[in-house]
Amino acid sequence: MNDFPDRPGGADHDGERLRRLLDDAVSDIEPRDALGSIHARTKVTSMSSSRSWFLGAAAAVVATAATVAAVTVLSGDGTSDDPGFAGPSPSAGTSPSEATSPSTSSEPSPSETAGPTEAVPVYYVADTPHGVRLYREFHDLQTGGDPLTAALSEAVATAPDDRDYRTDWPGGTVVAAAGFDGVGSDGQISITLGNDGTDLRERPAGMTAEQADLAVEQLVYTAQAATQTRAPVQFFLERPGSTGNRTDMLLGVPVSEPVSEGEAVDVLAQVWVVTPAEGAEVTAPFEVSGLAAAYEATVEWELRQGNRVVRKDFTTAEECCTMAPYSFLVQAPPGEYTLVVRDTDASGGEGPGPWEDTKQVTVTR
Amino acid sequence: MVQTTAPGFGRRIMSTAPRWDADAAVDGLYAAHYRRLVRLSVLLVRDVETAEEVVQDSFVAMHGRWRTLRDPDKGLAYLRQTVVNRSRSVLRHRGVQARHVPPVVPDQHGADEDAVVSERRRQVLDALRELPGRQREVLALRYYLDLSEAEIADALGISRGAVKSHASRGAAALRHLLEDAR
Repeated sequence: MNDFPDRPGGADHDGERLRRLLDDAVSDIEPRDALGSIHARTKVTSMSSSRSWFLGAAAAVVATAATVAAVTVLSGDGTSDDPGFAGPSPSAGTSPSEATSPSTSSEPSPSETAGPTEAVPVYYVADTPHGVRLYREFHDLQTGGDPLTAALSEAVATAPDDRDYRTDWPGGTVVAAAGFDGVGSDGQISITLGNDGTDLRERPAGMTAEQADLAVEQLVYTAQAATQTRAPVQFFLERPGSTGNRTDMLLGVPVSEPVSEGEAVDVLAQVWVVTPAEGAEVTAPFEVSGLAAAYEATVEWELRQGNRVVRKDFTTAEECCTMAPYSFLVQAPPGEYTLVVRDTDASGGEGPGPWEDTKQVTVTR
Repeated sequence: MVQTTAPGFGRRIMSTAPRWDADAAVDGLYAAHYRRLVRLSVLLVRDVETAEEVVQDSFVAMHGRWRTLRDPDKGLAYLRQTVVNRSRSVLRHRGVQARHVPPVVPDQHGADEDAVVSERRRQVLDALRELPGRQREVLALRYYLDLSEAEIADALGISRGAVKSHASRGAAALRHLLEDAR
């Protein structure tokens, strides 16, 4: 009962009253029996769940991909209603050291030559009709075996491929160190940030509280994706004269305790295009795939040239109301296009507007 | 190690807990919690049919996740969290007010008394719908499910400080709305 000690006088009385009110308000609700229909659905799900189908397909892509493939790995871990973790996928078949120095010793010298690259998931922020939200890109990076630091460094300091996205981290921000001390989600991620010009503890002038929140979420989601965990993140700040002290605030956001990821529904844009990537050159027909938590699982798309809609159609995501995979094929003559994927606007124009993601795509033939 | 998520989960020794498979978990948790979870969802989305759908979907989702949940406490925590998340999604996607009010079931009371009771219930559900989503969720979890501050923080993925402030603001706003309604 002392969970809310800040309530002014008569806390117990107030709590009791609320308890009675809420209890009474639904006391006449007698739901229809649903065990039979749940059984019917779980039987189907356990035999051929969309999740395991998708995992299998993703694994097959990883196994055969010789070049970068934006692979989404949905994990069964974690308990939030979210799109799952995006794992890095090994991509380059040959390392540059082999290709560029065939005559020298075959002894690997990772310190001199760049190693193979990995496709690493990096989250960025973008403005949506629902406020600032996160989108995800895959970046092909030489991680040197440390995808966590590589992905976080991209997130704070590298411009996204998609011109609609951005990072709100102040210029000059660096990831001084990053690590994960555990296995699975039973551990903690540590991130040490530094910036010679800006005090990262305070929210910079011109940054809204929402942008600051999402900038922190951007790093939490990126770190969790890189480690394929839902481990909480402890932030440290490197200041002149000290290396990596715990900090109580980051951009004005309280972070004295390890930070868990925010609810996907509040943090992520609810429609993502995963492939093709921004600026991709493709041959027709090309496949568009992504994740969407769409109203009635309906995903609409358009292919535009300027303001002219060249193609439009809709498809269905595998599930409604949670980030679920969708894909469709697009046939179009060679040219430069803007691909728009969105959910249907259930409010009939009265709400803030649909979720959408757009990509510039060139069809070469 | 300090961890803000799932305190105690996985570390508790569940020596007396039954070793359920996914089907048994659905049956066991359904028997014990189905009605309560539907009522929880009604507090959030108001419409009974929608609430039933949300809770059924949540049971199906829990069945699919059982391999990683494995104990009844975790299963129940997952159900609660999923019911709240899906209720929120439904509201966001529908963007509409409730279609139905809870049915008035005339029974041993006189018709007038029924009307008074049902009017009181309607006012509470209406007032809840007026609150910001987080306040409504915190109040429902705190006062309907009797969860602790830590459990609510965990279920909603927000800090305990945020739980506190949503709870006190929500309680004050609800009191205000119900006083106005009289």
